[in-house]
Amino acid sequence: MLADRLKEKVSKALLDLAENIKPKVAKGKPFHFLHSFYDGNYTLMFQPGTTTKGKVHLRDGIDSKRTMFTVVIAMIPCLLFGMWNAGHQHFAPIIEIAERLISAISLDSLSQEVLWAKINALAAVDGGLADAMYEAGRRNLEGPELLSYIMPSIENIADAGFFSKFIYGAIRVLPIVVVSYVTGLGIEFAVAQMKGHPIAEGFLVSGMLIPLIMPVTIPLWMVVVATAFAVIIGKEIFGGTGMNILNVALTARVFIFFAYPTSISGDKVWIQDLVDGASGATALAQAFEGGVAGLSWSWFDMFIGSIPGSIGETSTLMILIGAAILIATGIGSWKIMLSVMLGAGVMGILLNIVGGMEGVENQFLAVPFYYHWVMGGLAFGAVYMATDPVTASQTEKGKWIYGFLIGFFAILVRVLNPAYPEGIMLAILFFNVFAPLIDHYIVEANIKRRLAYAKG
Amino acid sequence: MEFMDYFNTFIRSIFIENMIFAYFLGMCSYLAVSKNVKTAVGLGAAVIFVLTLTAPLNWLIKSAFLNEGSLEWISASLADVDLSFLSYIMYIAVIASAVQLVEMVVEKVSPALYGALGIFLPLIAVNCSILGGSLFMAQREYNLGETVAFSLGSGIGWFLAIVAIAAIREKIKYSDVPKPLRGLGITFIITGLMGIAFMSFSGIKL
Repeated sequence: MLADRLKEKVSKALLDLAENIKPKVAKGKPFHFLHSFYDGNYTLMFQPGTTTKGKVHLRDGIDSKRTMFTVVIAMIPCLLFGMWNAGHQHFAPIIEIAERLISAISLDSLSQEVLWAKINALAAVDGGLADAMYEAGRRNLEGPELLSYIMPSIENIADAGFFSKFIYGAIRVLPIVVVSYVTGLGIEFAVAQMKGHPIAEGFLVSGMLIPLIMPVTIPLWMVVVATAFAVIIGKEIFGGTGMNILNVALTARVFIFFAYPTSISGDKVWIQDLVDGASGATALAQAFEGGVAGLSWSWFDMFIGSIPGSIGETSTLMILIGAAILIATGIGSWKIMLSVMLGAGVMGILLNIVGGMEGVENQFLAVPFYYHWVMGGLAFGAVYMATDPVTASQTEKGKWIYGFLIGFFAILVRVLNPAYPEGIMLAILFFNVFAPLIDHYIVEANIKRRLAYAKG
Repeated sequence: MEFMDYFNTFIRSIFIENMIFAYFLGMCSYLAVSKNVKTAVGLGAAVIFVLTLTAPLNWLIKSAFLNEGSLEWISASLADVDLSFLSYIMYIAVIASAVQLVEMVVEKVSPALYGALGIFLPLIAVNCSILGGSLFMAQREYNLGETVAFSLGSGIGWFLAIVAIAAIREKIKYSDVPKPLRGLGITFIITGLMGIAFMSFSGIKL
């Protein structure tokens, strides 16, 4: 009851505010240049009250803004898991070090020199400990006093649980999300203003996708540059939302991939702040080196997703939840999702056969096909990016072909191309390019068939 | 495993060393005739035919006449003659005559396509990807089998590129592209973006 009343109050207040502002941005008023900004926010919060004037009255409650929001909601599980995982990847190796340090201190088994070297190394990667050291230094604490002063911070690291991990990850991930939205929406608003159009909704999804396909260690300025490139070159010059030929988020990622390759691939980028001995290689990099035997994680670990990788892509479980939302609301095409997985499976089996032959050295070939489904970004790409209604095939038959080829080529590139372990990104872009052609021939075939039918 | 070698050359020249997206050869007709899929298919097929015909022909001419010492089969006194300075003009002559042949066939078989291709059909003679095919063949010292595989693959790669961009250009016909970029400008940008997509294959070792 209370919640209902609160909801009513808030929406009333928001509506009043909107109605108050409305005359100020009307044509001819000084703030008219902000009218599309106003429109964008107004329609975001409320269903527009206007109805069509003509005769056609086929209207659905869902418009493109609500469509976009559903996709964003479907990505929330991945985002939340990504936050936790970023923290988990940070804490997992250093928890062990902190624990060993604590037992060494209680047993007094290390020389002072080694002990302090280890503590300093730990402080270099943990802000809390570094702060405590700094504070102790300011108070001129030394020796045992210093040790007892910083001891709680070390114990804190060793005790890092769900919440410390989540909060640490959130602090790392949220800035990327904010930066991506601010850059992209800023450009969208500016372009809408310039053209005198209402603000298009397209960036709501891309703005969330871009952070999810970045490694957590990505410098923020790179996110800005890549987002600007993707929005301007990938979308706005084609006429904005709905007109782009390549998926915007993937364009951003591929831009960084080719412009700053060391920041997005390689085996040390996923976890910053590595302490000695901890490996930050992704599952794909490991499988490339040593096949299944080289993987540090089981199939189930990779399914749950507590492994290094881009922020949103690691957890196949969360992606499945997102897929369920997209399919249940009818927004994502289940045909594309299924056929990408099928294509990947078929290619995986083919490669397994080749890998099983005598004299084949490449161990990646022998990685069972069901591992490919949970490694890297395949599932994420299949659910959130291959299904992008703008760049995918528009015809129903075309969706099967499009999806299947994406999966097929993704695994081909992943396994056979040592330069780019992440095949799904390039496979989706590649078939974004060919989607119009697939559609063209499906449509031609339909016309031919119906003509033949009409002629009887 | 000789067959596998040919097959690898073939696949590589379609995807990895695509004439358009890796070397940007044959751009003029690629840009000009890619307004709709049907004519693009016609021109693409003509390029496949000319390329697959001329590169092996040029290979024969090169190894029978142009290489240093290759005239020995005529008479022993010609053993130290080197005609390789004639290679460009010979290649071009072969290409031009092959194009003439194609032109006559197309005019006879499909006058509509002949009209749609217009000046770009005879211009295949100076299409860089065709001469490029022959020159790559010479530079990389392919044998005859590799030359056939390479030229067929390059032709198919060029065909794929022009058909794909034609479909995209048909799709964006009604897009609100900013005025200064309409036409060729946006086509160049699309080509660049397609090039990025094709880069997924660069680095594959076959």
